[in-house]
Amino acid sequence: MVALARKTLVYEWRRFLPAILAVGFAGLLQLLQLALVLGIFGATSVYITGSSADVWVGFPGTQSVGSGRSIDANVESRILMDPAVARVEPYEWIDGDWRGTGDTGGVSVFVSGIDPAAGGLMFSRVLPPELRARLAEPDAVIVDRADLDKLGVAMDQTATINGQRVRVVGVSSGLRGLGGINVIASLDTARRLDTDAADNGPTYLVASLRDPAQADAVAVRLRGSSAFGPYTTWSAADFAHISVFYWLFDTGAGAGVLFLAGIVFLVGAVITSQTLVGAVQGSVREYATLNALGVGVGALRKVVLEQAFWVGALGLVGATVLGVLLLLAARAEDVPVTLGPLAAIACIALVMGQAAVSGMAAMRSMRRIDPATLLR
Amino acid sequence: MPATATPRAPVLQADGVCKAFASGKLHTQVLNGLSLSIDPGELTLISGPSGCGKSTLLAVLSGLQKVDSGRVHALGSELGQLDLRALEHFRLQHTGFVFQGFNLFPALTALEQVELPLNHMGLSKQEARTRARRSLEEVGLAHRIKLRPSELSGGEKQRVAIARALAKEPELLFADEPTSALDAANGQTIIDILHTIARTHGTTVLCVSHDPRLVAHADRVLAMEDGRILSDSRRDAVAPKETSP
Repeated sequence: MVALARKTLVYEWRRFLPAILAVGFAGLLQLLQLALVLGIFGATSVYITGSSADVWVGFPGTQSVGSGRSIDANVESRILMDPAVARVEPYEWIDGDWRGTGDTGGVSVFVSGIDPAAGGLMFSRVLPPELRARLAEPDAVIVDRADLDKLGVAMDQTATINGQRVRVVGVSSGLRGLGGINVIASLDTARRLDTDAADNGPTYLVASLRDPAQADAVAVRLRGSSAFGPYTTWSAADFAHISVFYWLFDTGAGAGVLFLAGIVFLVGAVITSQTLVGAVQGSVREYATLNALGVGVGALRKVVLEQAFWVGALGLVGATVLGVLLLLAARAEDVPVTLGPLAAIACIALVMGQAAVSGMAAMRSMRRIDPATLLR
Repeated sequence: MPATATPRAPVLQADGVCKAFASGKLHTQVLNGLSLSIDPGELTLISGPSGCGKSTLLAVLSGLQKVDSGRVHALGSELGQLDLRALEHFRLQHTGFVFQGFNLFPALTALEQVELPLNHMGLSKQEARTRARRSLEEVGLAHRIKLRPSELSGGEKQRVAIARALAKEPELLFADEPTSALDAANGQTIIDILHTIARTHGTTVLCVSHDPRLVAHADRVLAMEDGRILSDSRRDAVAPKETSP
């Protein structure tokens, strides 16, 4: 079979270049937008994704990690009774008002009280063991390196949270949050900073399982009892999704992303389809001749669809190369970007969908192909 | 009605064919109750002034356009009874076309131009290639098969277009002003090729042209005016036979 679509694409590449660029840049925009949004809003679940707990236990109806309420401390024994559970530890969440030594005014902080023991689950992925051990000192806190300026402190300096003195004993990275600055302390330090008299138990209990793959099943199983007051359970992955989606839609950012994605899709599709229509018009007499010779309109349409496919594929290759470079640059500059396989597949689907829609729009222009017009 | 009788059954037959075009309020009757039969293996030339309806006649005889009334039979099929898909299939299996413009794809080599329609006829890749090569050799382009249209002269392009039609081994070959875009020498070459095709392949060639040089090579010349056939003359006839329209 003579590869008419491909040969034309190669021979007349200048004609198809605008479409390839349009598809490529539309894809790149979608990709970066998605990576940025996931990166920024992924910060709302850093408590979950930065930890190695498999199951989270918290107050029923909690909509994001930052909006938990205290549960009964005795729930811990109920969780430990389950044979699948390997370890349980409390996690305290406290909203705080930070006063640093610099001219920073009050800064809203989220204090995470965690178990400083070696092998602790909370923040195990972002806190090196020796840094975690330093939390055992009284009043010790750890913050993200990128937040030092905002907090107006340097290493080993003191500040106050809710009027209580704390001291920065270390800095880490990957702790940046959204809506406030994350401060990590030991459970003891955190409880001393808590000014809310109503808090008489941990905000969460986190558990690791002997078999992490059982997280969903165990989370469901642990939900049954109410003997220790209200609580519910989630697998870590579910709770992370709940937190990210809460922020995405609570802030209107989700709607913004979808709106922008629609606009980018439309603009790319219009440019691409116009380019393909131009290519069809440029070859309309040749197509008509083939039709006169008996080559069906369906087969001619396939040529246009195939061209659209190649335009999409080439655009995708360009977008991938540029996208990877830009994402690496963003990472190097501490810009929060995240791109999982699902998001990448979504981008690929969008780009190829755009090419397909453009191809189908261009196919409509083939209705003008009439071999009788050649006899004039 | 053409008065010439032949022992063979006609391959193309038109009975009382009418065709009109409407452009706004303007109604133009292009073919006016025209009847005609074409015998197999002949090179028939249709000539006449611009607007006499000769291209429209070619379009309805080849199944590119439907008639308003009357009937067209080609190789035993009544073209008016066929739907769009069946007409495409009929053209694919039985017809070749050569147009005034060469209509070659800029991206394809001469060999690929000829191979392309053969691919759609269900021939194997090898068979299509062999046939395409043979056709190009027949029109004298054996040494130019790797070249693209931009590297070929006008006459060579038209020969590629003829090879493209010829490779299908059609029973019917339709040509519309095949020499009008060419100089004298190239025009003559094309005429010789069309003549040879009718002689050696037994292909029925129906050619519309102003070109007086073609008259000498045609087996039969139909002169048209105002949608009717004015005269119908055979090469072996001493003088053109007048026909009543």
